[in-house]
Amino acid sequence: MTTKILIDTDPGVDDAMAILFALRSPELEVLGLSAVYGNTDVEYTAQNALRLVELEGNQHIPVAQGAARPLINPLRNKGQQVHGVDGMGGTNPPPPKGKLQAMTAAQLIIETARAHPGEIVLVPVGPLTNIALALRLEPRLPELVKEVVIMGGVARPPGNASPVGEANIVNDPHAASIVFNAGWKLTMVGLDVTMKTVMTPDYLESIRQAGNPATELIFSILPFYQAFHNQVYGMGGAIHTHDPSAIAYLINPALYHTQELPVFVETEGHCAGQTVPDPRRQWEGVPLINVCLEVDPPGVLDLFRQRLTSA
Amino acid sequence: MRKFWIDTDTASDDAVAILMALRVPGISVEGISVVSGNVPVEMGFQNARYTVELCEKNTPVYLGLARPLLRQPSYAYFFHGPDGMGGMNYPPSKAPIETRPAVEALVEAVRAAPGEITLVTLGPLTNIAVALQIAPDLAQKIPMCYVMGGAAACLGNMTPAAEFNIWVDPEAARMVFHSGIPLLMVGWEHCRGAANLDQVNQAYVRSLHTLYADFTLDCNASAIKANQEWLGDPGLALPDPVTMAIALDPAVCTRRNKHFVDVEIHSELTRGMTVVDELGVLNQPANVEVCWAIDVARWKETLYQVLR
Repeated sequence: MTTKILIDTDPGVDDAMAILFALRSPELEVLGLSAVYGNTDVEYTAQNALRLVELEGNQHIPVAQGAARPLINPLRNKGQQVHGVDGMGGTNPPPPKGKLQAMTAAQLIIETARAHPGEIVLVPVGPLTNIALALRLEPRLPELVKEVVIMGGVARPPGNASPVGEANIVNDPHAASIVFNAGWKLTMVGLDVTMKTVMTPDYLESIRQAGNPATELIFSILPFYQAFHNQVYGMGGAIHTHDPSAIAYLINPALYHTQELPVFVETEGHCAGQTVPDPRRQWEGVPLINVCLEVDPPGVLDLFRQRLTSA
Repeated sequence: MRKFWIDTDTASDDAVAILMALRVPGISVEGISVVSGNVPVEMGFQNARYTVELCEKNTPVYLGLARPLLRQPSYAYFFHGPDGMGGMNYPPSKAPIETRPAVEALVEAVRAAPGEITLVTLGPLTNIAVALQIAPDLAQKIPMCYVMGGAAACLGNMTPAAEFNIWVDPEAARMVFHSGIPLLMVGWEHCRGAANLDQVNQAYVRSLHTLYADFTLDCNASAIKANQEWLGDPGLALPDPVTMAIALDPAVCTRRNKHFVDVEIHSELTRGMTVVDELGVLNQPANVEVCWAIDVARWKETLYQVLR
């Protein structure tokens, strides 16, 4: 029994790793990619999404371009320092052969959900702008999708985009507030687990040796990402496992310890983008979120390596 | 033939504004998109459809967004009556129902006729904000957007600081104001005082003895009462028709200037306040034209000519 998913994404080095991970996992059927700004401008992320489906013969998967900026706040575009202006580690790969869908990302999300009512898992791994727009355009979306698994947020700061905020939420806190409050089952795969799952240089080298199109692409774009992690966190060539963690959770949730917690999304001020857990239920009207708090890092890393190195 | 698109949360004064655009010669209304505002979107949809049928037109009416972007809906039954139409309980229109979503229909219409379709908004700006977010090119393809909303003089009706349309969805208003779309803000203050239809004006409208004149007064029965009891303003205030009059005849607006205008989204006290930097003290690029004064006689004549 495969799980039908739609990935909303801003590729992005770790997005690329997550998408290839998903495409190479028999448990998952990727029904579409919707692109959003985030790690870089949406014109790049949409083209990168096309490249990723074409890389290993998945060009039948529709790709739609979505929001170019947050709902209300200005575009930060800080991700370019992490992923390169092209979102592909500054490698400027040749243009993809395929074409984007005529419809916008929010429409692709809605159409896909309507075509498979109750079956789709939405997997947003970028800012939540497209999902928020889809929710307003189709108020029945929470009934049409099975659940939502996001890479984003942090229950126990520090964050990576502010002292209290994770980048995807900080990029569009208003959209995140809409998505968290939509009344659907939402799992937060946040920094609490993604930063505990570290890909070391030795581990990465063991994947590189597979020498397939997926690993070749990943290792061409990875140096820029590794350099950022070294510059900011002094990781000496190691990287955190952000977006691939959402895919690992989908394939094997047992790798994560989760807790249902009320989580409030702050939209204003210095702490905008903070995902505040309320374990003592001291606030009313705060949505219950399934929060990943602990992870089995070797389990996640083994799973990722197995999928990326298989023929 | 000028092309219009009307975005509306159709209750009583919206209906009169729609009637004006449909009845005046030289205007082709390409579509009407309905949004949650005065009344729930389905009710506004029925009211808009009824108004189109009353005018014997085939103008497509599209169902739009059912709630504000972030805020909970709040309706204005207290002002417009339980059906939004003064309790007249008009029958549903028999016209075929458009199934295309309003935002999609608006985006397609504008892209099919770039630079040709003037937008007139009479409700909260949720539909327009979402349209501009999924299709930012619309900001360059709409030559002018006339917005009934806000209060440049800080004279609110929903709160002391805010006018209803902007207050209902301040985030949407902020998105639209900063989208780059050419925009004339017609504030709520321009329907008050001398711009009201006073007893004499109302008697004149009734004396016209036309279907449209009677409709204008009948569907606004609750509004007339609420305006007097709640705002202490005797007479019928018609914010949406004033805005429509300016869209139809820009000379109705006698003084307009472009300023930096922002919408308050953070505060509780001043939520939805339209902050106009009249003196330019913030040194920000001007983004919104503000209507500062109207020709009251000309506005009323613009209304009367479609009611006769």
